[in-house]
Amino acid sequence: MGHQISRRTLFRTASGLAVAGALGSILSACGGGTGAGTTSGKLTMTWWGSDDRHNAYKKALKYFQEKNSKIKIEERYQGYDGYFDKFNTNVAGGSAPDLLQMDTALVAQYARKGVLAPLDSYVGKTLDLTGFSKTLLAAGTVDGKLYGVPSGIGVNQLTVNRSGLEKLGLKLPDREWTWADLKKIAQDVYKKSGGKIYGVDDGGGSTLQCFEIFAREKGQTFFSDDGKKLGFTSDTLQEWWEYWAEMRKTHASPPPAITSAAHNDLTKNAVVIGKALFTFDSGVYGAGGSITDAQLDFLPTPQGDFSGAREGNFVNGGVLLSATKASKKVADSVKIMSFFAQDATAIKDMQLLRGIPPTDKARKLISSGLTETDKLNMENADYISQRVSKAANALPAPVPPPQGADQIWDLLFQANLAVAFGKKSIKAELGEFFDQAAGVLAQ
Amino acid sequence: MTTAKTDEVVKEPPAPATPSDQRERDRMRRRLARRRGGGWWPYLFLAPWFVGLFGLTIYPMLDSLYLSFTNFDLLTPAKWVGMDNYDRMFTDDPVFWDSVHATLLYVVVSVPLKLALALGVAMLLNRDLKGIGLYRAAFYLPSLLGGAVAVAIVWRQVFGGDGLFNDFLAWFGIKGQDWISSPDTALYTLILLAIWQFGTPMVIFLAGLKQLPKDVYEAAAIDGARPVTRFFKITLPLLTPIVFFNVVLQIIDAFKTFTPAFVISNGSGGPLNSTMLYSLYLYKKGFTDLQMGYASALAWVLFLVIAGFTAVNFIASRYWVHYDD
Repeated sequence: MGHQISRRTLFRTASGLAVAGALGSILSACGGGTGAGTTSGKLTMTWWGSDDRHNAYKKALKYFQEKNSKIKIEERYQGYDGYFDKFNTNVAGGSAPDLLQMDTALVAQYARKGVLAPLDSYVGKTLDLTGFSKTLLAAGTVDGKLYGVPSGIGVNQLTVNRSGLEKLGLKLPDREWTWADLKKIAQDVYKKSGGKIYGVDDGGGSTLQCFEIFAREKGQTFFSDDGKKLGFTSDTLQEWWEYWAEMRKTHASPPPAITSAAHNDLTKNAVVIGKALFTFDSGVYGAGGSITDAQLDFLPTPQGDFSGAREGNFVNGGVLLSATKASKKVADSVKIMSFFAQDATAIKDMQLLRGIPPTDKARKLISSGLTETDKLNMENADYISQRVSKAANALPAPVPPPQGADQIWDLLFQANLAVAFGKKSIKAELGEFFDQAAGVLAQ
Repeated sequence: MTTAKTDEVVKEPPAPATPSDQRERDRMRRRLARRRGGGWWPYLFLAPWFVGLFGLTIYPMLDSLYLSFTNFDLLTPAKWVGMDNYDRMFTDDPVFWDSVHATLLYVVVSVPLKLALALGVAMLLNRDLKGIGLYRAAFYLPSLLGGAVAVAIVWRQVFGGDGLFNDFLAWFGIKGQDWISSPDTALYTLILLAIWQFGTPMVIFLAGLKQLPKDVYEAAAIDGARPVTRFFKITLPLLTPIVFFNVVLQIIDAFKTFTPAFVISNGSGGPLNSTMLYSLYLYKKGFTDLQMGYASALAWVLFLVIAGFTAVNFIASRYWVHYDD
């Protein structure tokens, strides 16, 4: 063999090497393995939220560390996007945070997989939960054990641009309103605004604040109690989708492109961009946009006006604070949970940033310093929780959702969108939805 | 001319060995043998590379192959399930097929257009103009930003309902729509982004064009060949090795596209899975839905598909790639 390098071999070799390099990365990205845990002496705490929430947490934690100089806290925070992706990766790699803000929707999944530390043995000792109601604690209780301390009362409510409504000469609906009332006022918004503003953002694919409550009004739940099946019938979902199809047709709700753009992005929410006045997404308050100058108000999710309709609203636990089981600092984490639950400074710092505070004592502490919108928010939450506790026929608050729940919520969203874009009929979509949901729950 | 010179060197046949050559070689061999004797330390310098190769590539690859036969949720130990993951993919996962559809469409549309644009611009930039360096830099710039998240965010703003693109259309009295959040157009905004980032193949084309022998063109010009003829009869045939190189790499790259789809769809692959590129689906399954075993199976299928495409490319290249030796 000669030692000449021809252009042929040069290109062959270069292509081959480049291919090998380009391919390797897709596979190695999917390898597992367990990394070393955190070795620093610091307690790691993570949370998600808005800038306001980050600052409130940091302020409260600074005060905590002044009082407990032995506990050093490393704070990590970000938005909700990717928060749990990162948490999953950290757990797999053995570097999970010691203390984390947990989603009430996901607590059961992590508790059952043995990721979270049970807290029962600390309650009444270093974990002071005086004043927490049983329904509230249910939000962090999985299979009879407490895995998370609720930060406050979370209720499902509509956020309303009240000043926008008044500008059109419309009145804020009564809190005892029905789905028919919602349809009526949403259509009025479209008419009175000369077709510039739709009434309410499309709730056809929105589970938590919306469809779940509609199903409960019919005495059905979203998931069955054991979490292995869906708890509602095909008729219920059909009625629901037909309601929203009618809403879109009469421009009471915006077209699907607007709904789709707002998926996972609060800043594109129809109310935030000024394209609607009512939204089921409770996160929009604080999201900026066209509503920064508007006076917001809050309403319970509407009720059914059919005979036999039940109270569909319920109270859950806002967000939770949970400790990880693998952590060596569970006792210290518990101290911090207790601090956020009871300490006056922490309560004042957090205000409504993690929901309506969980105890009467805490609510009194913050009531004087609230903004007008915060006051309205708290009033409505109070109203809902009182109505729920009085309602004789209300179903118990939903059990913590099973694994795969978030996939099914997404499925509902996509299914409603497919109907809205005219890609599928309601009938066809119903069959597919129930099929796919069953598949997810069986995994 | 430098190209002619290297060609001469390359084409020089090996000289027959003479006795003096033989002596020279023996000396060389002895010297090498001496060096080899105490030579453990070169491996020390190679060690970081070996650590990287085995620790970051080969071991994770084998691990993911194992995981693809398990039910692994990242949080609890993996359970062996045999071929279940592969079976589920092809028989019981409609979203898998959505992602295959989106990805193939993306590859088939974006790669040829991107390469055509890259070649076209490379030819325009292959001349001696004043300030040509500046133009080249300007055209390469979008690719420098590469898979950056920032570009994808800008893209989202440009093609959103109230974005720049619709403002532009409004000048002509056309009423736009929300391109990003319509299932019929969302993927094409991603394709457009891919085409716009044509800089890397362009630079490679440019390097190839610079090597083409000028005398052939001069001869063609004397014979009266027109530019189109010159392009198809001279430029393109001489450039085929480079076209081949670019085709192979761009196809692989396109199959693996992740960042723009993730950013533009807010990680959802929506609307209606229209931008659910394969890598994005793989990521979602592994890290969001906690199905790392399934995600590993998806990765191996992607690996095999890309390997298949590449093999076909190499085989097909025998029929259309011309080497000048």
